[in-house]
Formats: sequence, structure tokens, C-alpha cells
Amino acid sequence: MKHTISVLVENHFGVLARVSGLFSARGFNIDSLCVGETEDPSASRMTVVVEGDDRVLEQIVKQLQKLVEVIEVTDLTKESFVERELVMIKVAVNGNGRTPIIEVVNVFRAKVVDINPDSMIVEATGSEGKIRAFIDMMRPFGIKELVRTGRIAMARSLKNNG
Amino acid sequence: MATVKSPTQHPLAGTVMPGADMVVQVLADEGVDTVFGYSGGAILPTYDAIFKFNAAHAKNEQIRLIVPANEQGAGFMAAGYARASGKVGVFVVTSGPGATNCVTPIRDCMADSIPVVLICGQVPRAAIGSDAFQEAPVFNIMSACAKHVFLLKNENEIEETIRTAFHIARSGRPGPVVIDLPKDIQLYQAPFKGKGLLNFRGFEKRQAEADASRITPEQSAEFFKQLGNSDRPLIYAGGGVINSNASDELRAFAKEFQIPVVTTLMGLGAIDTTNELSLSMLGMHGAAFANYAVEDCDMIIAVGSRFDDRVAGKVKEFAPKARYIAHMDVDAAELGKVKSFTWSHAGDAGVTLKDLTDAGKKLKFRKDYKAWVAHVQALKKNHAMSYKKETDLIQPQYVIEALNEITKGKAIVSTGVGQHQMWAAQFFDFHEPRTWLTSGSMGTMGFGLPAAIGAQFAKPDHIVIDVDGDGSLRMNLGELETATTYDCPVKVLLLNNLGDGMVRQWQQTYYENRFSGSDKSLHRKDFVKCAQSDGYEFAERLDDKSKVKETLERFVKHKGPAFLEVMIDRDAHVYPMVGPGMGYKEMLTGPYIKPRKPELAEIKKADDQVDLSQTPELF
Repeated sequence: MKHTISVLVENHFGVLARVSGLFSARGFNIDSLCVGETEDPSASRMTVVVEGDDRVLEQIVKQLQKLVEVIEVTDLTKESFVERELVMIKVAVNGNGRTPIIEVVNVFRAKVVDINPDSMIVEATGSEGKIRAFIDMMRPFGIKELVRTGRIAMARSLKNNG
Repeated sequence: MATVKSPTQHPLAGTVMPGADMVVQVLADEGVDTVFGYSGGAILPTYDAIFKFNAAHAKNEQIRLIVPANEQGAGFMAAGYARASGKVGVFVVTSGPGATNCVTPIRDCMADSIPVVLICGQVPRAAIGSDAFQEAPVFNIMSACAKHVFLLKNENEIEETIRTAFHIARSGRPGPVVIDLPKDIQLYQAPFKGKGLLNFRGFEKRQAEADASRITPEQSAEFFKQLGNSDRPLIYAGGGVINSNASDELRAFAKEFQIPVVTTLMGLGAIDTTNELSLSMLGMHGAAFANYAVEDCDMIIAVGSRFDDRVAGKVKEFAPKARYIAHMDVDAAELGKVKSFTWSHAGDAGVTLKDLTDAGKKLKFRKDYKAWVAHVQALKKNHAMSYKKETDLIQPQYVIEALNEITKGKAIVSTGVGQHQMWAAQFFDFHEPRTWLTSGSMGTMGFGLPAAIGAQFAKPDHIVIDVDGDGSLRMNLGELETATTYDCPVKVLLLNNLGDGMVRQWQQTYYENRFSGSDKSLHRKDFVKCAQSDGYEFAERLDDKSKVKETLERFVKHKGPAFLEVMIDRDAHVYPMVGPGMGYKEMLTGPYIKPRKPELAEIKKADDQVDLSQTPELF
């Protein structure tokens, strides 16, 4: 099953390598990994999305907790949380013009961020499901390039909210 | 030199010195008396600082520097020092190849939870990443192997980093810490602070919690409820008991409640193996009676052990009758990792065992396990270790037994990896912890000789014996000379069977006698000449069974380093054997140990013709 693991770490070089190393040493392919500073610039938050056996992942979480530079680890999968990802798509503008693309963009509450004669860049933010649906809708127009940030996630304050 | 400014201040606080001097001063402050290592370009300033430090200090305050033939040797010397003494072992090497030669000992220390600190020189900060001469990405390489790695980039954190490395190496489940030390940092001049650690919030918080972790009254009540419901409890003690110096607490616990004890390879010495409650070693090559006891017990009390594949090859079939499994370990990640438990506690082994003993006394826990103790003692008697005795060929087990008799089980024994390692584990008595030094988890051939040298420096008054094999000894043969160079009186006992005996045994058992790569009978090395050329005054070869005892006596009594090669029966096998991935009920006891169910140990032809149809799951 898919796990979203949130790891708070000291904002030092090399921490990323140690964290990702625990996954790679076990042959796990990380679906997505996001790192950024937190409200405290001396700490960074990593959000790791990984698919794998629950028991093995539980072991990875325990091993993560042993890393000297790890401050806190949470497997959000067990909690109620909000996740977001941003995607940018360079989509081809063909004979039908820009309007059909912009219609889809509006439905998804996405945005047009750049326009060229033969293409435009659109961006969308949302959960994994929304991003997947948006990409599926853009595909028929002709996707020239696609880039995703990977997911970030945050636990809800009230556990029964989700 | 600065004068003492206040009682809490370091006498050298405020003195301007190069980073290398700070490094050496912190080593001295940490109580380091011996450093193992090999110099080279990127670590020259630190070696110079050691020289200057020793020139400025009286003999008993100096840091002894032991130079091996190869950096791997330095690593295993530091590991042997740490294993024998319980103190942090230190080795200092240069960048690039110096550092990469240390990968094996670092991983070995990680796998066996041994506290060591490795300081590697690194090219100057400005040159890092430029493929400079003798540059290697030590941070990346060691990250995957060590408990923690520092690349010292901040010139204001030199002493704090070294101090913190010692702190991390010692704390919790011990392990190796590597410091990658760029040359320009070693030369950087700054005032010495004499105090301070790096701050790792999560680590410190978890460590403080772990240190404070005690058994609650509810936990003890539950533990004794489970114990009370059991008729055949068995303690399964591992290396964690040795690492946490908890052997007194283990013995007191076992004695108080009269519970028999099996130990892992790493746990040998945790309880005196001659104690009536001790059942010696369990596992793949454990004693038959120990493994039978595991089969029979109805409760397992695991302390500082981790159900690894050499103990529980087939996890589901391990201790099949155990209704309860209590697991205590300092590393919470080990609890339930392999085998699920009915009771657990994450905490120091000694503290936990003492708390449990006290709680049991307070609860006035009493249960009569006499019938069970009598049962295991009968197992011990009826299925005792044995080997081929009617033969003119020297049996390795006989050599170990004779050596045990001569040293009265008082020696510190190190080993390489393979058959000789198992024979030594099986046939020596281990009365005390830290007298058995072996590469248990990693299984590193070549460990024995350098580990013995390191142990001898830690314990100069003890007899230290490296029981080695011809394959293992070859791996770090260069260190023979290191012993004579420093007049380090280690005894090297080579059990030569002209090949990789354990591999050969597996090839006989599972690969229809195809001895791929394991036969060394055409190798021409004369080990005795080797030892002689390295300056061993005692260097002998023994191939006459009638002279074993007499020769061993002289060998052990020899004042300086001594080398003895014993030509042993090539076809001697290690028994019992629980095949890889198999359960204890499939244990082979071989031709000389009485099995419980004779049909299971039936041997088709000779000792070396065992044919099992099972395919090994693991090597």
C-alpha cells in the first residue's frame, strides 16, 4: 500500500542522502520526495511517498527514527492529513485553438501561466487524484512537457476531521 | 600553555591551536590511550599533532599510535580494543584509499554494534568534489554503513564534532561513527574551547527518553503473569548483554528465578558457559542441547538478541511451543522486527533485567522450574558436544579443548570466520563477558588477527589468542608483522585444513562435492616461515597428535608473540548444523553427537557425504 511519510530533520547537508538511503538500501523506489525549510529554518520537512509492504515500511520508519539528524517521523497514512502537489504542463495548441484547453483549466481551478504561439503552460494544484485527472484531460491536446513537484502533506489538527 | 582559570574550565581553554591539535586534545580528554592507523597526505597534520602531543606528555598520558599493514587492520584492531574493553576504539587514516579500506571494519562494527570512531583525512574543502588526488566520497560511502558520519565543513565546530562522535558511538545501541576531516580544517588556527557538543534535538530527546526508560509496575506484573503461566521458560541472551555490560544482571535474573540460558554467538560469556543454568550457544551451529531446549521451551525471554537468520533460520518454526515471547532490547526497532512478541520493553539490558529481578522479588514471584531445569540438564548430558576421537589426524575440536584446559578458559579469544570460528565458539568455556571476539553478523574473514592485536593493547595482562583458519588468516596476513613490531604478545593459533573449510562443508552437503574455489591444497605458502620472517621467536608447525598438549603449553607460555600452525583433519565438519532457512527439527548432529531422534541425524555414508535434498534459501 501507498504510504506518505513525513520526516522532520535537521537542516544539514547529507540528511537527504541518509534518509533516501534507507529506502534505496531495501530496493524501494520512492514515488515522490519533497524537501523544504519549515517555520524553523534550522529544520527541514521531507515528505516521502512510497509504495510497499506495511511491515517493511514500519521497519523503515523505525530505522528513520534512529538517524541522528532526524527530529521526528510520522507515517501520515495512519492519520488524517491533507496532501497537495503542483503540476506544470506544456500543452500543444493545435487547430482547435486555446479555448478548449482553457475550459478544462477552469474546471480544475488550474491556471494558465505562460502562452506561446504553439503551446501554453498550465499549472494545477491538488491531491494526487486531482492531478492525475487533470493530466488525463490534458493528454488529448498533446503534452509536450510535464513536471510535478511531488507531494507535500500535513496532518490535520483534529484527528476526526478527515 | 594557558593556566587553569576555573575548576570547570578546560586547562587549555582559550589557547590558539590548529584544528589537528584540537582533535588530538579531544581524543585525550575522551580517555583515548591508543590510536590505530596509517598516515598519508590528507591526515599528516593530525599525525604530527599526535607526535607533538606525545612529546609534550609523560609516558602514561601519551596516546599510543599503532600502525598496521593495511587500514582494514587498524579498523579491526580498534574493534578488538572496543570489544575487549567496552571503551570506544579509535582509528585514524588518510583520505581516499585509506578511508575506503575502512569500509569493511566500519560495516562490521555496525553489524555487531561495536562503538568505534574513525577519523579520515579528506582533501581540503576547496578541492572536495574535484576528483583530487586520494579523494573519495567518504560521506556518501560511509553513510550507508555507519551509525553516523560527519563531514567536518565548519571550522568552528572541530572539537564539538569529535566529542559528539564519541557520544553517538557510545549511546543507545553502540556503533561506528566516521568523521571526514578536510586537511585545511586540520590546519585552521583558532582558540580551543575545551567544551561543547553539537546539538541534535531529535537524537538527544530520544536518547534521554531511552536512558530514562524503566519498566512500569504494569509491565512487570504482565511479565510475571506470563512467566507464571509458563512451565519451561528459556532466556535467549545476545550481544546486547555484552555491549551493555549487563552480564551480572543477567546472571542474577537467571539465578533468582532459576531459568536456563542459551546465548547467541555474540552473547557468549554473558553467562559463564560452565554454569549449570547455561546451555551454551544456540543456532545454526549451536549445541544440540541448546537447540533442543529452544524446541521444548514454552516461553522465550530474549535479551539483547534479535532472532537473526543464523538463530531463527525459519522464523515460524523457531521455538514452536513458545506461548510467550518477551523481547527486551535497547533498540526499539528490533522489537517485533522478526518475531512478534507477547511482552516487550525498549531499554538498556542491565537496567531492564535489574528492574525485573527487583519487581519479581517484590511480587514474591516463585515458580518451581526444577523439572524443566532437570530436563535441560539431561539434554546437556545426553546430547553433549563430541567429535571424532579414534583417529591419528588432529581434530580441531581436540586442539580447542586442550587449549581451553591449558588457559582454564581465562584467555581472550578472537577468530576469523568459518569452521574454526564455530569450533572455538563450541569448545571453549567462556566464564566472563568480553573474552570472545568474533565477527558475528558480517562474518568478516581476516577479523581475528587484528582484533587480537587490538584486544591485547586494551588488556595487556591477559592472554589473547587468535584462533584462525588458513583462509581467514591470509586475508590480513600483513598484520602478523604488526604484532612483532610492537612486541604485542598475541598468540596466533592457525588451524590449517588447506582450504575454506566451511565453504567446503557446504559444498559437500549441498553442492555434490564440487569444490569450486575452496581448495587451497596447491597453495604453497609456508605459514611458519612467514611468521619467522616477521620476527616470531615462537613459530612452529604441529602435525603429530601426541604432541598437541605439550606444544600448546609452550605456545601459550611463550612471553612474546607466538605462532602455531596445526595441520588438522581436512574432513572435520562442524556439527550440529541447522541448514540455512531450516528449522531446528531438521538439525543434523553428525556422527558423534547423539541426536534426540536418530532418524534425523542419519548420515548416509561418511561424515562428509551428507546429502540433504533441501535447497538452501540463504547462504
